[in-house]
Amino acid sequence: MSSGYPEERPHKKRRFFAEEPSSPPAPVPQIQHPDSPPSFASPEPSHGDASSPITLPMDGQLSQSMAVGDGFDVSLLQAVVGDVPPSVIETLKAQSNNDVQRAINIYLDGSYQIAASAPPPTAPVRKPSMQTTLLSGLARHDSEVSNASTPGSDSPTSLEPALRSMPTKRYIGSFGVVGWATKSGTNLIRHEEKVNIERTKIQPASSKPGRGGRVRVLNHKKQDIVVRFTNLRGEEVGRLENDSAAWISALMDQKVCLFEGSCVYAPEKLRMSETVYLQLRCYLLRSAFDKRKFTKPDNNREVNLFEEKESADEKALRLRQVSLVKLFDSVNLQPSRVNSTTEKHKRQGLLQAAEKEEKAKAKKTADAGEVGSTQASDEEDGEELEQDQLDSLYKKAQSFDFNTPEMEPANTFVMNLRKYQRQALHWMVGKEKDEAVSKDEESMHPLWEEYQWPTEDADNMPVPAVAFQTMFYVNPYSGELSLEFPRQEQNCLGGVLADEMGLGKTIEMLSLIHTHRTELPTDDFAGNAVNALPRLPKNSSIVERAPYTTLVVAPMSLLAQWQSEAEKASKDGTLKVMVYYGPEKLVNLQKLCCQANAANAPNVIITSYGVILSEFNQVAAMDGNRGSHGGLFSLDYFRIILDEAHFIKNRQSKTAKACYELSATHRWVLTGTPIVNRLEDLFSLVRFLKVEPWSNFSFWKTFITVPFEAGDFIRALDVVQTVLEPLVLRRTKDMKTPDGKALVPLPPKTIEVAKVELSQDERNVYDHIFMRAKRVFSANADAGTLLKSYTTIFAQILRLRQSCCNPILTRNKTIISDEEDAALAADLANGLADDMDLQSLIERFSSENDHDVNKFGAHVLKQIQDEADSECPICSEEPMVEQAVTGCWHSACKECLLNYIGHQREKGNIPRCFNCREPINARDIFEVVRHDHALQEDNIRSDFLDDAPAATQTPRISLRRIGLTGSAKTQALLTQLKAIRRENPKIKSVVFSQFTSFLDLIEPALTRDHIPFLRFDGSIAQKQRAAILTEFAASHKPYVLLLSLRAGGVGLNLTCAQRVFMMDPWWSFAVEAQAIDRVHRMGQEADVKVVRFIVEGSIEEKMLRIQERKKFM
Amino acid sequence: MSLPKRIIKETERLMADPVPGISAVPHEDNLRYFDVTIEGPSQSPYEKGIFQLELFLPDDYPMTPPKIRFLTKIYHPNIDRLGRICLDVLKSNWSPALQIRTILLSIQALLGAPNPDDPLANDVAQDWKKDEKGAIETARQWTQQYAK
Repeated sequence: MSSGYPEERPHKKRRFFAEEPSSPPAPVPQIQHPDSPPSFASPEPSHGDASSPITLPMDGQLSQSMAVGDGFDVSLLQAVVGDVPPSVIETLKAQSNNDVQRAINIYLDGSYQIAASAPPPTAPVRKPSMQTTLLSGLARHDSEVSNASTPGSDSPTSLEPALRSMPTKRYIGSFGVVGWATKSGTNLIRHEEKVNIERTKIQPASSKPGRGGRVRVLNHKKQDIVVRFTNLRGEEVGRLENDSAAWISALMDQKVCLFEGSCVYAPEKLRMSETVYLQLRCYLLRSAFDKRKFTKPDNNREVNLFEEKESADEKALRLRQVSLVKLFDSVNLQPSRVNSTTEKHKRQGLLQAAEKEEKAKAKKTADAGEVGSTQASDEEDGEELEQDQLDSLYKKAQSFDFNTPEMEPANTFVMNLRKYQRQALHWMVGKEKDEAVSKDEESMHPLWEEYQWPTEDADNMPVPAVAFQTMFYVNPYSGELSLEFPRQEQNCLGGVLADEMGLGKTIEMLSLIHTHRTELPTDDFAGNAVNALPRLPKNSSIVERAPYTTLVVAPMSLLAQWQSEAEKASKDGTLKVMVYYGPEKLVNLQKLCCQANAANAPNVIITSYGVILSEFNQVAAMDGNRGSHGGLFSLDYFRIILDEAHFIKNRQSKTAKACYELSATHRWVLTGTPIVNRLEDLFSLVRFLKVEPWSNFSFWKTFITVPFEAGDFIRALDVVQTVLEPLVLRRTKDMKTPDGKALVPLPPKTIEVAKVELSQDERNVYDHIFMRAKRVFSANADAGTLLKSYTTIFAQILRLRQSCCNPILTRNKTIISDEEDAALAADLANGLADDMDLQSLIERFSSENDHDVNKFGAHVLKQIQDEADSECPICSEEPMVEQAVTGCWHSACKECLLNYIGHQREKGNIPRCFNCREPINARDIFEVVRHDHALQEDNIRSDFLDDAPAATQTPRISLRRIGLTGSAKTQALLTQLKAIRRENPKIKSVVFSQFTSFLDLIEPALTRDHIPFLRFDGSIAQKQRAAILTEFAASHKPYVLLLSLRAGGVGLNLTCAQRVFMMDPWWSFAVEAQAIDRVHRMGQEADVKVVRFIVEGSIEEKMLRIQERKKFM
Repeated sequence: MSLPKRIIKETERLMADPVPGISAVPHEDNLRYFDVTIEGPSQSPYEKGIFQLELFLPDDYPMTPPKIRFLTKIYHPNIDRLGRICLDVLKSNWSPALQIRTILLSIQALLGAPNPDDPLANDVAQDWKKDEKGAIETARQWTQQYAK
């Protein structure tokens, strides 16, 4: 099968080869063995006669089948199937054993076509196989080869002699099966009569090695599991029952087993579909112990067929694996030794998994109704994980011990590591140097099970023993069989570094590169790293070792970053970094990095996934000849690091497969999200890391995917956790050290509640709504319909909250729909719209009889400006706080002025100017807006521009009607924003509100004050969002970002801002805290101040209290 | 209750820059309570008289006017027997822009220009209207008798 054998076979072993002759049973000369191992032919000539007694009954059979044409009614055939070319007739004749009926069947089911391309069918030679094997086994020469005890037996090549010392088949057990007749007749089959077990399907281009196995071919469109049995005369008697036929057929097709049957019971007069009881003796064929083709690492050649090929292989593997398990079940063979880690996983799991797969497949085919779609099933396995499942998974993996020892990086590393980074370094170096497992010679590979060859058959007759071959080994997960003791492979010398983004994975890795590197004097190097070499592909001989080089594979956009980080972190000249990309690729890496070139070999090669893939394709095109390519695949690195390793999360992707083929001593993957959305994502990483046994997909699927899909989450996740635990280091930003400090300390944040007092008009609106809500509530309480009407009450509460922000909101229909509050909408449509009381109140608040304010002369403004610095006539504050002027141009603090007006109103007087006693109106109060802190780049165009000559350098001012700034909250916000700008004109702020329509109202206020702002809410398209965020982060303008709590509360990174304003409280503070954390998170370097606006004496204060209570819960 | 800035400033200014003929000194135990003396304006029946007043700044001062009252007996049509003063700026015409100083000046001015058409003490006002000379004489006598 493999061309590699002759070369690899050590010379010494030829000895066994010479002794071989006596051991295997004689194959009957007529039988062709086109695919038997090369060793097979050689023993035959000197084979002892005694071991191959070909019994006579065969001869009759032989002659019968040789007599082609006898009794074959061609005309009948043609009558049924129509005109057929003579060649087809010949084929049919041969296949049907001269039975016309059978020939017709064969023709109609189309199987002859394949047969036509297959080698000419051999004559149906019947053999008395049982005796044959028995005798041959007895005569078998005891080989001196033993697997475990022979020196050098652990070398992979020794497998061949061991194989050779095995008979072509060896008894493993017998079991009973049920068959049903396909024929009627008397004395068709008798008790104890030997029956031949035949397959109707054969693998293309190979005939069954079993003697007398008739080559029978079916067009294998459907999965064919038909197993027929024939009597001694070669007449088909019946078929095996489907259940057992399913796996028996697979074993026969894959040349794993040979079955010999004898009839246990059959009625003398057999009728169609009557039951026949058979006893089958099963032999494991020698060829089964040969290495399976698909396990060879030369998949490179199949690059183009990747998707289908792999799936087809996986399918064959699954069949074989399941069949073997069922076989061992049937013959009741128990493993004499299993690995402790796999012990707990029952075989049951295997079967269950397979069954489930079958069902899924059946369903799929049924759905698709088409052949070929079956392939798809393997590709889409793995249901998506729910977030909470992911969380619990991570939580387990994240049980990071803060007392882990630390390790100082090598002194060539110049950056300062944080504590958790030094801990990571310690962990990683420990992982790389871990050799404990490899010392244990006796440790069996966790996937394998050990079985004892049976010494007696079912009738207690002794079975021939083969000396030093008392055991054989089965891998129930791959269906592999071996005579050789499967040694535990070297443990994975790497792992998954899954720290959250921003914790410095790159730096941690660089510290590892510096700290654990191969010493330059190469003498003692061999002792260490050679042992640590993981299994290499077959053609490893031409892969040059690169003991000083770490290969970093990263997305293209990160190459430059890796390079600069690597240079920044190293002392000059201590780390040679090379970016292998574009023109650099002309270098012959093999020459550059080989051990001989130690002094000049680059320490780090940085390349991209794209380069890996393209070189992989090139190597594949060169028939997997890695060495001559001279590229990335021609080296065996000291270490490979895959950055952003979720790039290879799909195990079927070419990139992933290319990465699997890279060889290295140490393998690391870096990713912030080891599982993106399905458990299979993790498998690909494990596969890359070559973590046994989990890098076997079948194993993975059996214990993780299948239970998970079957809803057995706890079990699946438990298993995943055992996989992850030794492999993964993950820390998150919100982890706290035992003394309660954050892993990465954040600058302090202060949260302050700013009490806002409503203006009188607002208060009126609020009180009005409040009174009505109260009325509704008590009416409902009295009527006992409180629970039913809770939506109405909710709507009222919402109103109250809105009126705290701005009374206009309560009347805004878009908000009502925005809040999706149907009750409120209905309310509005019915009674409330006619509620003139409220309407008038709101109007009083909002009405703007817009005077033309332009009429103010320049001299007035001059006077106002002069007064700005003088004392407030009311409170004696100097200068005035927020100067405001009356309609008669008398200045005072805004607050004093408004207070006074309020005072007068309260007493029922008409408000008059404090100065000239002119009657004044609250709406005729103007705020003086000074533009001394306005942006230079902003070309301020104010209607009330002060025309003072530039020479005076007096700040420009404008007047603005106070009512226009909107609600008390808006004003409070503006006051704060202006204060910030006085303090530090560069600070950016974020404003959160849950009412987007409130943001709508804030916008014009900001515009008027020339405060640059950006808007971000749910209505903005995804693309635009990114643009807005980039602008906010990158611009030098002191932007104010208006965010809706819902759109911006999660995920965003707004660390460029330092101030947060919460315009309105939410029921739970957690939601607000989320929003605040957009600003106060990793990367924030300055202190963060948060201001929460709360209206005094309103529902908002009550909400605060509710928040407090929730916090305690 | 802490004293508003405005009251502190007014007090400081009254001390540092007193109005001629007027003094106002706050009580030590209550800074809103002032002892006030006003000299009678010359060429008036109250000349040479020194009148004691008390002045209290209410909590909502300067939104509301100060409360002020003559302690010294005075014969004046706009001031009653209890010392209460009828003056528009202390009532409807009060404005927060007015101060203690301006109010006291107004009272001083009121002494120089009695207004019997808007009386508070009706008997005095009637006397004043019937026999202005006699009334002025009475006022002068009272001043000599009480305002010393």
